[in-house]
Amino acid sequence: MFDYLNFNLLAQLFINGILFGTMYGLAAIGLSLIFGTMRIIFLSQGAVIILMAYFCYWLFTLFKIDPYLSIPIIGLAAVVLGAGLYQGLFRRAVKMEDKNITLLIAVGLMFLLENLMAVMWTPNPRSISTGYTSSSIPVGGLAISFTRLIGFVMAMLSTAGVTIFLKRTLVGKAVRAASEDIEAARLVGISPHWVNTIAFAIGIGLCGIAGIALSTTYPFDPYFGFIFSLKAMIALALGGLGSVFGALLGGIILGTLESWSSFFISGGWADAVGYGAFLLVLLFKPEGILVRSVKKV
Amino acid sequence: MKNIKPIGGVVLGALLLGLIPFVSDSEKSYLVYFLFLTFCHIVLTQGWNLVAGYTGQISLGTHAFFALGAYTTAMIWRADLFKWGDYYFDPVTMILSGLVPVAFALAIGIPLLSKLHGDYFALGTLGFGEILKVVCIKGGQFTGGPIGIMLPSSVYTTMKPHYWTALFLALLATGVVYFMTKSRVGLALVAISEDETAASSSGIHILKYKVLAFAISAFLSGMCGSLYAYYLFQVSPEGFLILRWTLYPVLMCVIGGSGTVIGPIVGSLLMTAVFTVASIYLPGIHPIFSGIIIILVMLFMPNGITRLWKKGVQGG
Amino acid sequence: MEKRLLEIKDLHVSYGTVQALWGVSLHVPEGSIVALVGANGAGKSTLLKTVSGMNRPQKGNILFCGKDLTGLDPEEVVNAGIALVPEGRRLFARLTVKENLELGAYTPRARPFVQESMRQVYELFPLLQTRSKQISGSLSGGEQQMLAIARSMMSKPTILMLDEPSLGLSPLIVKMMFELVEELNRKGMTILLVEQNIFQALKISHYAYVIKTGKIVLEGPGEELLSDPEVQNAYLGALE
Repeated sequence: MFDYLNFNLLAQLFINGILFGTMYGLAAIGLSLIFGTMRIIFLSQGAVIILMAYFCYWLFTLFKIDPYLSIPIIGLAAVVLGAGLYQGLFRRAVKMEDKNITLLIAVGLMFLLENLMAVMWTPNPRSISTGYTSSSIPVGGLAISFTRLIGFVMAMLSTAGVTIFLKRTLVGKAVRAASEDIEAARLVGISPHWVNTIAFAIGIGLCGIAGIALSTTYPFDPYFGFIFSLKAMIALALGGLGSVFGALLGGIILGTLESWSSFFISGGWADAVGYGAFLLVLLFKPEGILVRSVKKV
Repeated sequence: MKNIKPIGGVVLGALLLGLIPFVSDSEKSYLVYFLFLTFCHIVLTQGWNLVAGYTGQISLGTHAFFALGAYTTAMIWRADLFKWGDYYFDPVTMILSGLVPVAFALAIGIPLLSKLHGDYFALGTLGFGEILKVVCIKGGQFTGGPIGIMLPSSVYTTMKPHYWTALFLALLATGVVYFMTKSRVGLALVAISEDETAASSSGIHILKYKVLAFAISAFLSGMCGSLYAYYLFQVSPEGFLILRWTLYPVLMCVIGGSGTVIGPIVGSLLMTAVFTVASIYLPGIHPIFSGIIIILVMLFMPNGITRLWKKGVQGG
Repeated sequence: MEKRLLEIKDLHVSYGTVQALWGVSLHVPEGSIVALVGANGAGKSTLLKTVSGMNRPQKGNILFCGKDLTGLDPEEVVNAGIALVPEGRRLFARLTVKENLELGAYTPRARPFVQESMRQVYELFPLLQTRSKQISGSLSGGEQQMLAIARSMMSKPTILMLDEPSLGLSPLIVKMMFELVEELNRKGMTILLVEQNIFQALKISHYAYVIKTGKIVLEGPGEELLSDPEVQNAYLGALE
């Protein structure tokens, strides 16, 4: 009987980890797109996700809009925000040789968003409760949280959508081409600003989805964003840059690692495990994150 | 002959600043507090300046070294390490508090700085800060957990030693940056930040100089952390391991002009003034400003007030 | 009177404080092969990059079919009908052959004809058709050069500029490459060829310019320059 319980527990942790990990994965995909095309380390990714989570929360609390029904609204707002952030903040800086400038803009944006949210909406954690947020679906002896499952489905669908966009549409291919070699892309007529705007829009759009998933599954506060950004980078480090699916996978791996560590070790140390893994990857195999290993032709 | 005037000016300025606590009541005077904070910021900013402005590497770990210095001081004090009994403001502890961060700086700096891509370094220092935070929060008895280590505040009598030590450290930090730039090491650093490949092919051992700058910066930050521990009497993650202690120096250096000696001073003075005023009249809101200001500065004056950013802003 | 398709007038180009081109003038008549030859670092690539919009000249004009293109962005230059096959191929390594070709027809000028262009390109390079689904980074050097040229042709250019197409290729492939250039020209393509392989370039070109440290020092019909003693001493002697 002890064995049975153990297995159930492990499986439960495993599943929870996967479901949570897909959120990291979404953030990682966005980061990867933005970095790939523009070489920007968008440290404020997590803060934007929290912002989106707040949007979802307020749409629900003030206007009684069900979180899942708000997907089109928030999705659209996120995409527009992404385009706006690029045009307003990064467009000029991207052309500069010093890549530190865009990094510092991202840091400034993160600080701005976090503190803005804390001031406007207080630092108290928020979460959404609807009729279904606490329900779970029994699957073979395990209880899978309904909202986490939906979050997982949303993440998978978004990932599939982005992958199809990148692989099948001409614009998507242009984005991939620009990530590879922006000069060669210009020489076939691809406008970098157009491609960058799209990459940013998609990246932030994914933040919207992640934000909705987050708001329905976990309490969040304004300062959670920074941690989220770091976790997204760890996910990218684990999964490797260059494939959308890899980023998602990295997120899932991280989610499962965390889920198990936080049970067997303790919450805080689980984070340390993540950061430790991150530092190790950075120190010894940075190709996992930021450099492509394909030879240039 | 040419050098006498500016050096004379510096000495005079330092003397004048040193006299202020005698003129203005150091316990009640806001000016003394303001200058103390400014001097602390100058130390941290010059440290960041050395690494970012002169080697072109963005470090996001100033707060980590700041905290390491503070914790070292607190632990030595608490443990009565040398059996002196009285650790208030002793130089040995302070220097040790500078050296502990150096050890960590070497440990993570060498592998991180040897990578070709500068972004690894920034992220690595960020990650290091986070790990440190977790360790401190979860450190149990050793680090005092989330509350941190409390120090006997009964020894506090006057602000004067804090003020003078801060002034001294600020002069030291500025002097270090100044002499580094004038020396052979400084020229090497400038060469590295301008064009690494060219510098490397001229025989400059890139890694050595980058690590040196990073280590010195950690030393300065650590000592500043020690000083601040003597001021707050409580060393906790919430007080020291917060991004504010990295972001403010970055902001001040960038606004003042990174890669210059005076830039950090100008930037620290200006922004400390702005933030202290804001914290009085707009409490709670003023952290937002730091984010806005960094963005605006990077968008419109990435060169800073005093000089061009070293790596060059070549318009597209 | 032959039509001057591309006309470059008194071009001065600098990289920061270093001046690379000092008042370069040349022109490419319609339907011809014009070669720009010279040693490494003489400024040949700089010229092509400036024409294609990657660099902005400090002084001078670039006229294409009579229209002034100076200072336009690369995207606009391609759309006007000037295609550059850049030095080092610069393929989109992780995209397939077919995707590289598709992207070659990205401009509004070329996109309506993408299917037709691809058919023509496959006729010319049947090898690319067999490898159409292959990741372009895995092709051999010669195949990659073919793909690079094919990609540029997808943009339906009026003039094709090639930057050191023979670089890094084996002699046999190089020979094939120059034959290809001639064939393209026979089919009507105007070509501006920049090359270090001076012998081959002069052989196939109708007209040629010799550039040295940013200035045109010699010009004339390709064959004449081949037998020019100056050229022979300075450049051809250095080759085997």
